[in-house]
Amino acid sequence: MNFRGRHIISIADFSREEILHILQLAGELERRPRPDLLAGRLMATLFFEPSTRTRLSFEAAMHKLGGRVIGFSDPGSSSARKGESLADTIRMVDQYADVVVMRHPRCGSARLASEVSRVPVLNGGDGANQHPTQTFLDLYTIAKDFPQLVAGGPALTVGFAGDLKYGRTVHSLVAALGHFRVDLVLAAPRGLELPEHYIDEARQAGLKVTQVATLQEAVERCDVLYMTRLQEERFPDPLEFDHVKASYRLTATMLAGARQSMKVLHPLPRVNEIAQDVDATVHARYFDQAGNGVPVRQALLGLVLGAL
Amino acid sequence: MTDPITASNSRVRQVEAIANGTVIDHIPADATLRVAALVSGTDDQIFIGNNLRSTRIGRKGVVKISARELGQRQLAGLALLAPSASVSIIRDYAVVEKVPVPVPERFDGIARCANPNCVTNHEKWTTRFLVVCRNPLAVRCWFCERTFDTGELTLI
Ligand SMILES: [Zn+2]
Repeated sequence: MNFRGRHIISIADFSREEILHILQLAGELERRPRPDLLAGRLMATLFFEPSTRTRLSFEAAMHKLGGRVIGFSDPGSSSARKGESLADTIRMVDQYADVVVMRHPRCGSARLASEVSRVPVLNGGDGANQHPTQTFLDLYTIAKDFPQLVAGGPALTVGFAGDLKYGRTVHSLVAALGHFRVDLVLAAPRGLELPEHYIDEARQAGLKVTQVATLQEAVERCDVLYMTRLQEERFPDPLEFDHVKASYRLTATMLAGARQSMKVLHPLPRVNEIAQDVDATVHARYFDQAGNGVPVRQALLGLVLGAL
Repeated sequence: MTDPITASNSRVRQVEAIANGTVIDHIPADATLRVAALVSGTDDQIFIGNNLRSTRIGRKGVVKISARELGQRQLAGLALLAPSASVSIIRDYAVVEKVPVPVPERFDGIARCANPNCVTNHEKWTTRFLVVCRNPLAVRCWFCERTFDTGELTLI
């Protein structure tokens, strides 16, 4: 499997074998750090919209492999503000850097960048479209607690709760889970259900899909519960938002009925949808999940730069 | 001269015959005027019939262009606007070739993306759509990855 020079734009570009390879290398890097793997290499982080979390995770990954980082994280300081085209910005940066990480508010911007760049482009989020490294780290997190996901074995039940209509991370992860033996349990407020075509595609991929009426029901049926933020602007009626927010809030009490091994994930930042009393339970995995972004991004950087 | 749009008598020609050129038939009635705009150059002689009876699709449109065949770009646009239409080449009042609209694997620079936040609507860049379903025709934007029915797209 040769990843050298490859762009990381969309989870849909990756086969099951490629995903497994990336997860395996991430595991090796986590167990056995390689502080000189990318010595002398330079990564550019082009953040046309701010995302501290994603940028820090990429930068930590590069530093831990001995590489260096340049870039901007404030769109106000970028040349795009002066009217430079995205293509020209990329053509300039690929003269300096060995790899480009970008986040941009427009859908498809990373794909466009990959068509002009002479060096690999890693998509750190393009509008509402894709955020593939998030999906890889979500899969990595699940596989760490449940090796059966990648090793084979009984189907794993993965639940999604909250805003399943607009959540980009949910859509990408649901699509990626289609490569594995998984049953899906979906709990969403009315109007924020997972769009039909994602459900159809999941079923075509062989996943069993069950929609349940309450968060509590999802809690009791899952091995993994993936929580998402509810955004007020999705609700025309503020009273309805308050009501839904209360009924989709996960608390430690609700976890009494969960399987002992059940893990709760969340792409972070959380607002109210996971009560703080969940943090201390054996079920909380969302902070480890964020940490898992580092070895996963290390693996991707090492691969596209031809060092792994 | 026969009335060009007399539909009541099937033996009367519904749209003026042309000696040489191209006839696009079986256009869905709601797409006829857009097809006419797509294929007509400023100097072309064009005949348009619309809301004609069709046993195949109910109400249809016909567009005839004198003395000319369609270019690659126009054929690609036609595939998006009216994928189920047929295209006939006319020479000396006779049909010498009649084919369904050829639908390519992908459309480069033919239509604008209907996603207002798609990068192609904000940067000068050639759009690209890949066919994901042929019947009914649906395409996916190569950039923003959204899937569209062809009726949602506007031609460039
Ligand atoms: Zn698009």
